Amino acid sequence: MMTATLDFKHVNKSYGTASGPIEALRDFNLEVGDGEFISIVGPSGCGKSTLMSMASGLAFPSSGSISVKGERVTQPVTDLGIVFQTDVLLDWRNVLDNILIQPEMRGLDRRAYETRARELLKMVGLEGFEKKYPYELSGGMRQRVSICRALIHEPPLLLMDEPFGALDALTREQMVIELHQIWLKTRKSVIFITHDIQEAVLLADRVVVMSPRPGRIAEIIETHLPHPRRPATMETPRFVSLVAQVRHVFEKHGVLKVYDPE
Amino acid sequence: MTATVPHSVDTARFRWRWLSSFDSLILAVALLLAWEVGVRIGKVPAYLLPPPSMIVTRIISDYRALLMHTAVTMNEVVIGFGLAIVISIPLAAILAQFRSLERALYPILVASQTVPKVAIAPLFVVWFGFGLLPKVLIAFLICFFPILIDALIGFKSTPKEVIWLARSMGAPRRRIFFNFQLPAALPHIFAGLKVASTLAVVGAVVGEFVAADSGLGYQLIVANGTLDVVLSFAIVVVLSILGVLLFAVVDLAERLLLPWHISHRTTGQERA
Repeated sequence: MMTATLDFKHVNKSYGTASGPIEALRDFNLEVGDGEFISIVGPSGCGKSTLMSMASGLAFPSSGSISVKGERVTQPVTDLGIVFQTDVLLDWRNVLDNILIQPEMRGLDRRAYETRARELLKMVGLEGFEKKYPYELSGGMRQRVSICRALIHEPPLLLMDEPFGALDALTREQMVIELHQIWLKTRKSVIFITHDIQEAVLLADRVVVMSPRPGRIAEIIETHLPHPRRPATMETPRFVSLVAQVRHVFEKHGVLKVYDPE
Repeated sequence: MTATVPHSVDTARFRWRWLSSFDSLILAVALLLAWEVGVRIGKVPAYLLPPPSMIVTRIISDYRALLMHTAVTMNEVVIGFGLAIVISIPLAAILAQFRSLERALYPILVASQTVPKVAIAPLFVVWFGFGLLPKVLIAFLICFFPILIDALIGFKSTPKEVIWLARSMGAPRRRIFFNFQLPAALPHIFAGLKVASTLAVVGAVVGEFVAADSGLGYQLIVANGTLDVVLSFAIVVVLSILGVLLFAVVDLAERLLLPWHISHRTTGQERA
């Protein structure tokens, strides 16, 4: 196997707080391959945000190491795209300028990226919205723009922290399918953090199931679902059994409680 | 997912705005009318409460003197206010960047605000004489704090995701500040500027009360000394016009600079 895009080796992380140290993450091992889609699913407090900040080089492990393309992370990683739960669009910039802030901040030529920005907007169905301001868009549209912003500089790695968590159920389903299409076209390595089991399974090559406090990997499940994935994929026996598998892991770790009728 | 903004909503809102500002005009006229009629029917002597018509007449007949004193006061107000802007906003930006500096300086700044500026006005006269400087300084001191506080809140309320995003772009601190933090802080800054713009006039007038040979504050003291109540009222009117004018300038600047901000939007307030 070639060098992993992102490699976590025995990563531990604890924070010192007023009431003593808190262990956020314990012995986290994961190799994210080139072009691989990894979903990380887990309850609140399983250290997902900690993982995100360490993967982007804004926090560092207490022990263990993280490397990107074989190089150990010791400063903020710039060769990636980030999508948050909130779209974090700048209210004072129109759609196009919001996407182009990425190359601008990197000191790249803005004009060279404008064509690509327009292509990306077309890909997410926002052609003709270039001059609109964020407040004129719906939540789903805003999140699409933020995905374009994360892709414009063609990073090899995409970090997505519950990107659809703030959207309504229907928009969410739509966005999941769109994201899958984008991934098929661009084949970035993706780390996709979510609470939603179905979302995690539908998108991923591998689903990393986390258990809480301290966050540990409970199980890694390979999906082997055929591409392209569609809403109908969710009705296949394979998908249903994968979702059940994840749920069982949560039940085993007490994240989901089992009620026996007696 | 339609691209068009419904025009009917647009015009309806516009009409509503126009109507509401028109309403307040009617209300103001009605109040003035009630004042005029009340004073005349109640036979209130002009040296206690002159009717609005008399005040307006006086403003017109005395416009030369009023204008001269207004120019003096306006000069003090604008310089004091401008000084406060130039000092408060950069200071807030620096404090927001360096936590330890903020922790050290902030309590001192807050404590300094408990000193009533009106009370130190006479001291300023002793230190800086009777000219422009003490008035400018009082106007400055009175404006300084609200601008600083609002700007500081603005700079500090950048969501951590924004900073995170900016750092993932490899942007240096200066760029992060000018492209992310400063624009996001502008609505807060303008809130502070609006409060300060009305206070600036107060500051200058207080300075003139203490010691001056010109300016609306000085003229007001003289008018009061001779029991010229109509002139006093005329000056008060001019002073409030001055305050409103400064406020309007700040408001206009805000509208021009922040057309994207929620308080100025005419459409799309509800996100689908």
